[in-house]
Amino acid sequence: MATIVFLSMIVLLLLGFPMMVPLIVGATIGFFMMFNGFGQMETMVQQMMAGIRPASLIAVPMFIFAADIMTRGQSAGRLINLVMSFVGHVKGGLAVSTAAACTMFGAVSGSTQATVVAIGSPLRPRMLKAGYKDSFVLALIVNSSDIAFLIPPSIGMIIYGVVSNTSIAELFIAGIGPGLLILLLFSIYSYIYAVRNNVPTEEKATWGERLTSLRQAIWPMGFPLIIIGGIYGGIFSPTEAAAACVLYALVLEVLIFRTMSLQNVYDTAKSTGLITAVVFILVGAGAAFSWVISFAQVPQEILSAIGITEMGRIGVLFVISIAFFVGCMFVDPIVVILVLVPVFAPVVQSLGLDPVLVGTIITLQVAIGSATPPFGCDIFTAIAVFKRPYMEVIRGTPPFIFILLSVAVSMIFFPQIALFLRDLVFAK
Amino acid sequence: DTWRYAFEEALTEVQGVYAQKFKEEVEANSDHEIQLFPFGTLGESADIMEQAQAGILQFVNQSPGFTGALIPEAQVFFVPYLLPTDQEHLARFYKQSKAINEDFQDLYANQGLELLKMYPEGEVAMTTKEPVKTCEDLNEVKFRVMTNPLLVESYKAFGATPTPLPWGEVYGGLQTNIIQGQENPTFFLYSTKIYEVTDHITYTGHNNFTTAIMANKNFYDGLSEEDQKVIQDAAAVAYDHIVTYQKGLAEQELAKIKEAKPEMTVTVLSEEERQCFVDAAAEVEAKFIEMTGDSGKAILEQMKADLAATAE
Amino acid sequence: MSDEHDLQELDSALPGFLGVIDTVIGRVESFLLAVGVLLMALNTSANVLGRFAFGNSIFFAEELNRILIILITFAGISYAARHGRHIRMSAIYDAMPPKLRRVLMIAITLITAVLMFGLCYYAINYIGTQASRGRVLPSLQIPVWIILVWVPVGFFMTGMQYLLTAIKNMTSKDIYLSTAVLEGYDSDEETEV
Ligand code: NA
Ligand code: NA
Repeated sequence: MATIVFLSMIVLLLLGFPMMVPLIVGATIGFFMMFNGFGQMETMVQQMMAGIRPASLIAVPMFIFAADIMTRGQSAGRLINLVMSFVGHVKGGLAVSTAAACTMFGAVSGSTQATVVAIGSPLRPRMLKAGYKDSFVLALIVNSSDIAFLIPPSIGMIIYGVVSNTSIAELFIAGIGPGLLILLLFSIYSYIYAVRNNVPTEEKATWGERLTSLRQAIWPMGFPLIIIGGIYGGIFSPTEAAAACVLYALVLEVLIFRTMSLQNVYDTAKSTGLITAVVFILVGAGAAFSWVISFAQVPQEILSAIGITEMGRIGVLFVISIAFFVGCMFVDPIVVILVLVPVFAPVVQSLGLDPVLVGTIITLQVAIGSATPPFGCDIFTAIAVFKRPYMEVIRGTPPFIFILLSVAVSMIFFPQIALFLRDLVFAK
Repeated sequence: DTWRYAFEEALTEVQGVYAQKFKEEVEANSDHEIQLFPFGTLGESADIMEQAQAGILQFVNQSPGFTGALIPEAQVFFVPYLLPTDQEHLARFYKQSKAINEDFQDLYANQGLELLKMYPEGEVAMTTKEPVKTCEDLNEVKFRVMTNPLLVESYKAFGATPTPLPWGEVYGGLQTNIIQGQENPTFFLYSTKIYEVTDHITYTGHNNFTTAIMANKNFYDGLSEEDQKVIQDAAAVAYDHIVTYQKGLAEQELAKIKEAKPEMTVTVLSEEERQCFVDAAAEVEAKFIEMTGDSGKAILEQMKADLAATAE
Repeated sequence: MSDEHDLQELDSALPGFLGVIDTVIGRVESFLLAVGVLLMALNTSANVLGRFAFGNSIFFAEELNRILIILITFAGISYAARHGRHIRMSAIYDAMPPKLRRVLMIAITLITAVLMFGLCYYAINYIGTQASRGRVLPSLQIPVWIILVWVPVGFFMTGMQYLLTAIKNMTSKDIYLSTAVLEGYDSDEETEV
């Protein structure tokens, strides 16, 4: 069954069907074959609803809305001007700032999709103007946003911790090392890219100019304050911080800067709704497809066929990495964790592997998978928000994926990348 | 045949241990095979319940707290101080109670489900950031509760600010102080690592977590008597197993928590200290009757009678 | 991502009275989208405010958001179909000669329409099942089936949009992505998505 399902999905995808079609057809074939007909299709509808149910998803439309208001108005521009007055003269400075902003925002908001929108939508036009190619910009945004999985709080790590009975606090600490390493490598690549493509730099701003930008950015500085201060300060959950940003953005743009009319606000809400729907129908269809894979016990069958119990430490870690990478190419990361972690649990235990190391490797693979074609929420979000074709969004990704995979492989051979900080903090 | 069985917890938690024993028994005594689907692999609690009602799953384990959306009377398990904390008394009660084995059996049957067993998962403990000695200590505390109206009422009556939050946001919420407390059975505090982000465990004796295993009714009724017996026997063996398994489980898990976090305080409230919680329970009971009417009241009375009958 | 310029309300491609109905439906969808998003922002921030200013969470805030997200998603998918905004991977499609593209587009839109109508049918059945079981939302205590009503409606309207696009492609010599949006690339900002 799995073969027929995957083949038909790939064919439909390549022929140019709307992306929801391969997912729906894949799930439908699964239901038809498992239940000998269409008798249980109601469960497919149920799972499409289940996919869009998680309360944390609400952060996505809220951040889309806030980012759109900020970008149409002046808030985003003023914040970027401030950053540019400090890094504009440095080769690759804007790209590095974008990567860092994505990492930080993603870390705090906990939502990679929200990051693509909130950081990507104001910064992409500026990077294009500065002379970066769009394929590079899109890939940088999508991949940097995925670092968010590794830096706490990370929903993927919480779920892994619960399923595998591992300390979530230790996982959180262990994710920071690889997360920052990836950011560093992305920054180096951005610098090399800027040098090789000779991306022009701006003239170095004077301290007077910097002060002016700072003064202009005073009001918009409330956004990082709401997000970082609000969430780490225990005032907001990420979802609520998103809604607070919407309110603050409305106050700034409608009342203080007076750049937006109520009609503009209404139109922005409408386009937010459209983007949300386009992404969420894929999230829903993806959930239905995930259910089929899980119900048919496809991963269990594949893994028992390759005889994982006879492999050594390195072999098992590679199989785990590949399984999660491939799984997340097609299926929702959370479901992949829930289904696969128990499958691997016995062999992880019998080899005495550190569950924190395994969890960090898995979280990294989940992050890579979300940015990897064919199916990835962050790719979908970028397509919907930036209105660029699928191929263009993924064209620039290979160097980034290469970096991510190198870190993943390094972590297998040098576990200290993940465990160094953990051992330090928990005195192991 | 291959039968499918989904539950709300991980394989190593109480529901998972029950499920594994049930599977072992069925497979040892028949030619049937059972596939287990732990927490989240086929959806949330409400999803697997619907799938069992649709006959896709043959067995489902759902706690009555979640079944309240379908069978309002099931919320009776959230009336504080109704169930005792004495595990042996509880074990007898679930086995012999008319309310459970007849009344609830019928209520579940109306929803297309054959109730096989209800069983305990352990006393519910509060974990908080600040120590709790009286109801006053809960004042201003944002206390996470499951999305269940009666549970919201309970914590309101206890003096806290009940904050319904999906489970996925609880760990992060405690870490960032959006909420300052939550409740769960002891083993769950350890397995879900909630102890890492709270500092005090308090036993007020207000509830004992109950869960239920059931089969799709059409499926069950269509089985041969022999197969039905295999299932009933397996459910009974798994019941005895889970009761034995849970003896000392709370102490064990508590010891693990203390080892991982020595500064954790554990408090069992005295009769005197828990008085204000007991007083508040009357309010919640009245609310339950208001919500469920005569049939809820009848079940409540029956449960009280059964509890008295099974007390030593 | 400011795209108000191409989210203008499109007049229906249908003739006469049907066209009027179609145009009205489009307006209703866009209204629901905007109001859904605004209500969600209001509901979520009111919940925070309630907790901090008055020490009270809105006990149904999460359920209200759940209702709104269903509304937004299913009002949105037909609105997105109307504007040709559903995500697709068109690299191979774009490389084909126009004749083949047209045939393929007709096949794509017809098959998608059939799928949408099928899902509409099963969504109606699902609602029926929910209604017969009497499941309610725990906090709001309203029947679950009510909040799902938008699901079959959304699937049906989306199916209609794809069906109309198929007809449009059969009867005209250009290739249409949706009833009103031509395939291809307007100015530098592609609307291919
Ligand atoms: Na994060
Ligand atoms: Na992917």
